[in-house]
Amino acid sequence: MAGFDRRRCFFTLGIALLLTCAACEPPRPYRIPIPPPSNPVLRTPPPAPLPLPSPPSPPPAPVESPRKPLPQEPNIREQDLKDKPPAERGPGKETKESAALPNTGGIPPASETPLPLPDDSSLLAKITPGVTPQRAASLRLTEEGKKLLDSGDPAKALTRLERTIVIDSTNPYGYFYLAKAQYQLGRYRESLNFLNIAESRLASEPFWLAEVHALRGENYRALGQLQSAEASYQQAVRLNSGNRTATDGLLRLKTDNSFSGK
Amino acid sequence: MTQSKLRFLSISLVALLVVTSAGLIFGAWYFKQLENTVTEKFEGRKWVFPSKIYSDSYLLYVGAPLRPETLIEKLRRLGYYATTGELRAKGEYRTVRSSGTIEVFLHDFAFPSEQFTGVPVRLSMQGNSLARIENLATGQEMFSLELEPELVTGLYERIWQERRLVKLADVPPLLVKAILAVEDERFYRHHGIDPVGILRAMWVNLRTLSYQQGGSTLTQQLVKNFFLSDERTMSRKIPEAMMALIAERKYSKDTILENYLNEIYLGQKGSQGIFGVWEAAQFYFGKPLSDLTTGESALLAGLIRAPNRLSPYRSYEAATRRRNVVLTKLLDDQIITRKEYDTALREKLPQRPLVKITNDAPFYVDYVRRELEENYSNAVLTKEGLKIFSSLDLQLQKIAERSLAEGLNKLEAAHPALRRKGEDSLEGAIVVLRPQTGEIKAMVGGRSYSKSQFNRVFQARRQPGSVFKPFVYLAALMYGGQSGIKYTPDTIINDSQFTWSYDGRDWQPSNYRNEYFGAVTFRRALESSLNSATSRVAQDVGIRRVRDVAHRLGIQSPLPAVPSLALGAAEVTPLEVAVAYSTLANGGVRPRPLAVRNVIDQNTKVLEKRDVRSEQVISPQLAFLMNDLLKGVLDRGTGAMARRWGFTRPAAGKTGTTNDYKDAWFVGYTPDLLAVVWVGFDGPSKLNLSGAEAALPIWTDFMKSATASMPVTDFVPPAPTPGSEEAPNSCEPGPEGTITPCPPVAVPARASSEPL
Repeated sequence: MAGFDRRRCFFTLGIALLLTCAACEPPRPYRIPIPPPSNPVLRTPPPAPLPLPSPPSPPPAPVESPRKPLPQEPNIREQDLKDKPPAERGPGKETKESAALPNTGGIPPASETPLPLPDDSSLLAKITPGVTPQRAASLRLTEEGKKLLDSGDPAKALTRLERTIVIDSTNPYGYFYLAKAQYQLGRYRESLNFLNIAESRLASEPFWLAEVHALRGENYRALGQLQSAEASYQQAVRLNSGNRTATDGLLRLKTDNSFSGK
Repeated sequence: MTQSKLRFLSISLVALLVVTSAGLIFGAWYFKQLENTVTEKFEGRKWVFPSKIYSDSYLLYVGAPLRPETLIEKLRRLGYYATTGELRAKGEYRTVRSSGTIEVFLHDFAFPSEQFTGVPVRLSMQGNSLARIENLATGQEMFSLELEPELVTGLYERIWQERRLVKLADVPPLLVKAILAVEDERFYRHHGIDPVGILRAMWVNLRTLSYQQGGSTLTQQLVKNFFLSDERTMSRKIPEAMMALIAERKYSKDTILENYLNEIYLGQKGSQGIFGVWEAAQFYFGKPLSDLTTGESALLAGLIRAPNRLSPYRSYEAATRRRNVVLTKLLDDQIITRKEYDTALREKLPQRPLVKITNDAPFYVDYVRRELEENYSNAVLTKEGLKIFSSLDLQLQKIAERSLAEGLNKLEAAHPALRRKGEDSLEGAIVVLRPQTGEIKAMVGGRSYSKSQFNRVFQARRQPGSVFKPFVYLAALMYGGQSGIKYTPDTIINDSQFTWSYDGRDWQPSNYRNEYFGAVTFRRALESSLNSATSRVAQDVGIRRVRDVAHRLGIQSPLPAVPSLALGAAEVTPLEVAVAYSTLANGGVRPRPLAVRNVIDQNTKVLEKRDVRSEQVISPQLAFLMNDLLKGVLDRGTGAMARRWGFTRPAAGKTGTTNDYKDAWFVGYTPDLLAVVWVGFDGPSKLNLSGAEAALPIWTDFMKSATASMPVTDFVPPAPTPGSEEAPNSCEPGPEGTITPCPPVAVPARASSEPL
């Protein structure tokens, strides 16, 4: 019965509920039916270190399944970005709850598919008692910047976000959102530069690393470097199959390809 | 006879006619000229607005290290004034010692990206940090707060006219009536000049045998200010009167009045002249016009006659007397009631000294101007009222100026040979960057701006000497040697005399004081800045690679690929050096140096915004390793004196001394602040001092004060990257800016690499 309910959620409510589902422990909450073939990489549990990026090309099949839960087919990049982080729907508490569940990310790879990672996008949730005042202030400003980005004001967001790295140069999320602001402003090269910095500082956070790869994919796509875009999206999906920017991106690449193919 | 008489008469007539018509023609031409001038001034651009350069804004946040004195000093520089009672107006602050709080009624400020409306806030301190911020208007707690930037200077021609234009309708009627009552009672009845007024003024002046009244109408005063110089001669009075008549004929009384209200000079704030009633209301009362009381309006009207002599900033009594005279006049003319008069008499004028702040940072401003001149003409900069927001931190700037001046004085005291008479005196320069953003926080381009405006931070190309060495070591760690050696901090290098043969020539580097240490570790060779060992490494790595690394980090000057480059035989600017080292401090991310951040026009439209731009040019692992090596320079190596002088924070750095002893450098940084100090002579004179002797003391003095109120931070090791292929070791920029990975670099354990 629970399984049935979950299925319904799956088909009707899209990514927000997907995450909730992911959080409610299921042995196999939802699966991206990646064709079994011989890609051991894809079996790695999400938090594990990334193996080689090189022979990435898991066949385009995986993009099929995330497509279904998506409520709409996003065509506009900005739009896509704005409603991307699934966390927007869930407050920080929820995130924590899901993070608290021990086995979400750590289930032995019984499945061939990486599970979607618990949503770790709430920056305010990272302000815990042990955090330095600099980091706390920097995270709050990052959150403000993120909201400004969501409301479509990348220029103003940029001003805030530049502050975040002044207060705490080790705040990696500041760099990530700087990259996002630059992306929204159409400065893809700049965005990629900031993503490199963010990546080097987020190496141990697979959820965020997936965000970095996904946004990198977006930039490459905007620059017309479709192969790099695909590789980045795939890297993101491998880290976190719940990363919608990446799954959407792959889907769009595929659609574009098939169109151009015709 | 009669004929000759006739003839004379007709000639005279003709001559008269000619003279008269010539006079008429000239008169008409002159009149036309005056008319054109009047039209041009009224209808063309009448007002000149200087552009202004601002410092960076100041962010306060809960938990920020902050001393109350620092905050109060900052508030004073921003023009806030202390009060003891409740905060009533924007611009006031008070310290409540009992509760350890400072309350501030913030100014309004148009930030480049948003308009901020001032609110009263309470800042609670706990020891030397900011514990709580509360919005007193709403009772809400705030987590951060941005204090407006400080005005650094105006860009103007001749005089700095500070004004904001207002419409007549926005000026309170009482203020207008008061001004008319004291300056030109019959304004609405005359046609530009007022014979009745002149006669009355003459009578009053004769009777008192002193200059009590002027007979000038508002129109004449306006015309005088608009077009003419300040001399008071009859020859000037005539065109002034004629232009007043012309203006009255062409324009309505209201237009003239509005122009007058915006034009009049009403006081002086340092180098800024206060012009127009809007600016005056702000200057004297910190209020918008609509909030002026009867007494304040009376004072403003009264100030027109002699703004500086009657200023409440100068004499509370003189200002009160003048206000009361105007109030009596208003009562007599039945403009105010007896009750209003009595209330206004009881009002207390603001009684506070004018805080004169000289926020000058001339070398920095010159640098900003140079950047601006690429996009804006001088006319635009001096007339269009742009606001230019810079990265400058005035507090750091003051510290840098002081450290350099005192440091050079001490050097001259300790080494009398450095004291030169005439042009070629001992010089120095400091540039301060925030490595994460590339913001130039302070810049001192020389010892005295008034003596020499040459900005050594970016105009002087000097040999970097040993400051260049880290690029050699970095190249070695990055590429390894051509001999196949993979360099680590523990690699043993031979520090002994040797000859480097290239292009058929021989080059023999020699050590400081000709001392050689034999087998030394890589780490020790860098810490002790050993020339011979460094040259051997450079030879093994290849000088081209060394050069490429320097360029990649941010050196833009051309560098010759010759062996002596390893020891810094090239010419670079202190600013380039600062950028290159910022790349190390910033985990391998090269920032672009930023002085100008935003330019907005008078309507707060953003004309230009320069964002933080960064590029990962070496891997964070390598940068971390270099920082670790360069920390050794301060902890044990050539920069160790800094520790003895009391600079104890985690920091990295490098001394620089050129072979010919002409240049002394020190570059040093914490993860959050980097400063480059250069000392030398502009001319060919030798300093005969090392970087550690000449530049390090200045750097240490600067850093000790500059970082006093900053949290202590250390360089954070980069997160372990799972599989080095994933690390963004963006080494070789390939085609289209794509990035290929660097050769993997082993980061050896720190402990095993203590120097000998």
